Amino acid sequence: MRSLLLDRASFWYPATESPTLRDVSLDVAQGEVVALVGALGAGASTLLLVAADLAPRVTGGRLAGSVARRDRSGIVLPTPWTQVSGMAFTVWDEIAFGPANLAWPAHEIARQVDRALEHLQLAPLASRDPATLSGGELQRVIIAAILAMDPGLVLFDEPAAELDADGAGMLWRLIRLLAREGKAVLLATSALDALPDVADRVVWLEGGAIRAVGTPDLLADVATCDAGLGTSTATVWRAAGLPAPYPLTVAQAVRGWR
Amino acid sequence: MIPALRLDDVSFSYGRVPALERVSFSVAPGERVALLGRNGAGKSTVVRLVAGLQRPDEGTLWVGDWDTRDCVPEQLAWRVGSVFQHADQQLFARTVRDDVSFGPRALGVGEREVERRTARALEDLDLTAHAGHHPYDLPPALRKLAALAGALALEPALLVLDEPTIGLDRALRARVTRALLDRSAGSVALLVITHDLTFAAESLERGLVLDRGSLVCDESLAGLLGDATRLEPLGLAPPPVAALSAALDLPGRPVRAADVATALARVARGKPAP
Repeated sequence: MRSLLLDRASFWYPATESPTLRDVSLDVAQGEVVALVGALGAGASTLLLVAADLAPRVTGGRLAGSVARRDRSGIVLPTPWTQVSGMAFTVWDEIAFGPANLAWPAHEIARQVDRALEHLQLAPLASRDPATLSGGELQRVIIAAILAMDPGLVLFDEPAAELDADGAGMLWRLIRLLAREGKAVLLATSALDALPDVADRVVWLEGGAIRAVGTPDLLADVATCDAGLGTSTATVWRAAGLPAPYPLTVAQAVRGWR
Repeated sequence: MIPALRLDDVSFSYGRVPALERVSFSVAPGERVALLGRNGAGKSTVVRLVAGLQRPDEGTLWVGDWDTRDCVPEQLAWRVGSVFQHADQQLFARTVRDDVSFGPRALGVGEREVERRTARALEDLDLTAHAGHHPYDLPPALRKLAALAGALALEPALLVLDEPTIGLDRALRARVTRALLDRSAGSVALLVITHDLTFAAESLERGLVLDRGSLVCDESLAGLLGDATRLEPLGLAPPPVAALSAALDLPGRPVRAADVATALARVARGKPAP
């Protein structure tokens, strides 16, 4: 079942003449992970704000076309320090802040917070003051805080940016788990090498419009490599002048090499 | 030669939370050093100490021949250019040009020199076309480059960068690499905190690894990045290009993309057609 449906959506920020999104039609189903990739200014972050109902409601500006959401959404912004409530002195309370504002019963709040702490491997930090956390720790807290509100549609903007290798690996596995639980996931990322294992579909945005949609194999195409959006392996293959099709991952490269 | 930066047995705690424990290393002029490690390992604390925002609890941190304990941050700005983790919040002026020129102007180097340094820094990062724009009209990734340009414009002996590539796409990362290689060729020492080991492989040469506040590794990045068995316990994963190089056992085990492509092409030419 569709969780999000954009039909020929275009969006203009206030006081701008050209749209940041142009005629974008896209759906995300429950249980599906869709990844947005693109160069700087391609519109991925804006698309997430539109999907989250923050643009134009909060940003101002103008939307044309239609956006239909079936589920309550939660968005993880690329700047975790702007998403801290500032109202909590422990990580546990910070994560409970969202669910508490949904007026859930106390036992349900506690259950969701404990589950989110476990998913993000944050239990050892539960009693820490959020103000004392490192960038990566804070990013995990914000992800937990969003998931604790149990959104049906989860939107992530560069969720692994601040994370170390272990943290990023945990996050990508968690995103697959969310999909298995039936959540719809839409994410924007420049971590292209993670996508073969994470995304069901990849959407290539260029200049605010969809240039191509496909499986993660799209990230081994000649055109994506030339646009700087190929996986590292495919990009090196192309740079070496080896014939297409290019391997998508190191594992594929090794299999083909023998 | 006096190192651009030297830490002698430096320890630091946030209240009762220890962040660094007896850390010692030095960085020579022109050297390109990566500071690696897990989240919370103490990397950003090193930046705060080098910039003079915190003082070591124990040990001494030297910037050239200055003991940072005797220096205020604005004095250190003569020798250290710092870009903090969330650098897009570091901007405050009305135009990118004003922001980038703020540092050298505050040093009092003379208006003609301010202009030269500002123009060079903007040029190095391909920001000249954005010089007249308001920083907050730019996407966060370009704001981040503008903050880096501000540090370059100080023309310091030491650049300390905390996660300079977060949110940058491959093309912008390549701009940062180019600018850093260029400055290092002019004897500027670089200390760069990063989780982006692909960027580290392209831009830097030596790797320091912090683990729970202690320095546990100090060696050439080329050797370290290809060695998954050693990286894993340190919470690091080899960048894909280095993993590819190791998995295909390419001669010399290169870790930079251009070197891997060259080695790959050479080996492929020697291979019988499948």
